Amino acid sequence: MRSPGRCLCRSWVGDLGEEGKRVELGAVVVVPAGGDVAAIHGAEPRAVAASENSRPLYSSRVPILGNDVLRSWMDRVRKLGVQSLWLTSSLGDESVSTSVLAGFAQQGVERLLMIKLKSYAELDLADLLRFHCEKRNPVTEAQDARGQLGVSLLDHLALRAAGENHEPPGAARDSQRTAYQFNGYAKGILSARGRQELVRDALTGACAIRPLGTEIREQVWIGEGVELADSARVIGPTYIGARTIIRAGATIGPFASVEPDCVVDCGTTVERSTVLPYTYLAPGLLIRGELVDGGYLENLGWGAVADLHPAGLAGRIHRSEERRQAFSKTATDVFSRAARASARGFALPPTASQPWVQVQL
Amino acid sequence: MKTVWTIVPFPCASSPTGRRALRKDLLSSLRASGSAVIVDLSDCRTLNHEDIDLLLECVAQVAGRDTQVLFVAGSRVNRVLLEVTRISSVVPVFNSVKEALAYPQVAAENDHEDRRAS
Repeated sequence: MRSPGRCLCRSWVGDLGEEGKRVELGAVVVVPAGGDVAAIHGAEPRAVAASENSRPLYSSRVPILGNDVLRSWMDRVRKLGVQSLWLTSSLGDESVSTSVLAGFAQQGVERLLMIKLKSYAELDLADLLRFHCEKRNPVTEAQDARGQLGVSLLDHLALRAAGENHEPPGAARDSQRTAYQFNGYAKGILSARGRQELVRDALTGACAIRPLGTEIREQVWIGEGVELADSARVIGPTYIGARTIIRAGATIGPFASVEPDCVVDCGTTVERSTVLPYTYLAPGLLIRGELVDGGYLENLGWGAVADLHPAGLAGRIHRSEERRQAFSKTATDVFSRAARASARGFALPPTASQPWVQVQL
Repeated sequence: MKTVWTIVPFPCASSPTGRRALRKDLLSSLRASGSAVIVDLSDCRTLNHEDIDLLLECVAQVAGRDTQVLFVAGSRVNRVLLEVTRISSVVPVFNSVKEALAYPQVAAENDHEDRRAS
């Protein structure tokens, strides 16, 4: 077993540094609220349990209009010229351990791009890198008007200091940190409200993300293998994910996203809401301004989270093997690439609390 | 004579015996002629399918009659469940008993009764 520091992915990125120098860059993506490697591999839709007074966080690996936000970040990293990256998960908001960061420094990584997968942002990473090189501060953090986007660049000084001081780079003194102000499109994806806002913007073309499916009429997208009853109504803008079943008399939309592998039973209305994968909705319900994840429902306005199981109103659909395979072919193919990389000799590090996967881009 | 507003507490699901007693109380209150009932769910942390069935039975009981029924959700979670099941589209739902008693229809009826009495 090797740690990321001993099995580095480095890339040479051209003409981005000061005076057109080439920049050596490593890349790490941290999936918050992921919990464990299984959550990364399976992208199991689930919310982290919420306390009485807090809203739940949703896994950033759960599809948005059939899209995996991780892939959009991976595409951006690949465009930088980086050939592979390290992927890990963290239970809460914590980042990569300081010992791992020190490991990167020991292996001679000059700069590390660290992406906490908590937002979808149409960020120009090359511009961020250029900015970081120009400012010459150890840490650069991307932020927009709402706060940090979870994207930061650390140079070897910051990585080494993290190891020596046992403090994460986020704890670096303000004088060592530079904020990169991003004015483009960005949305948090860990909260129900952020997800719904991203769904709304994507359905209306206000951002670059596009529903994964066929546009059967204006602003109505349907994934592969959807079963739509004749009497069901679909009002755009709306997305219905692959293999979802919409039964008689149901109404979907406007501004609704029913993600893959769901069942919406007879007469139920889903409006201005998101239904996460593998969710069953009982007949005759009114889902308006809500996010439903299996048997749990969060009201986007009040933030109240209701358990629909005891009333038999909704539940989690167990994946059949056939559906599991269909899912892995689409949303999680990056991990089959990761598995192939492992088979070629790359190994997961032994840190049980923070598992790692190396993904070829 | 002033209308009597009956407030019926709706406790959390207990034993089958307790549920039968609750159902009996609730339905007899609704059947009482000229009466209006406020069903208070404040003591019920979450509604299960039997609770939903009983609330729907209440709605069916007063349908087409003069008897009025109001629900007090008592919590946001109960309110969400009443909205999701569309119960709130046929029966007025309030956050508290105080709010329910201030409901215009209730107040108007009370005023009307007061005027008749005087």
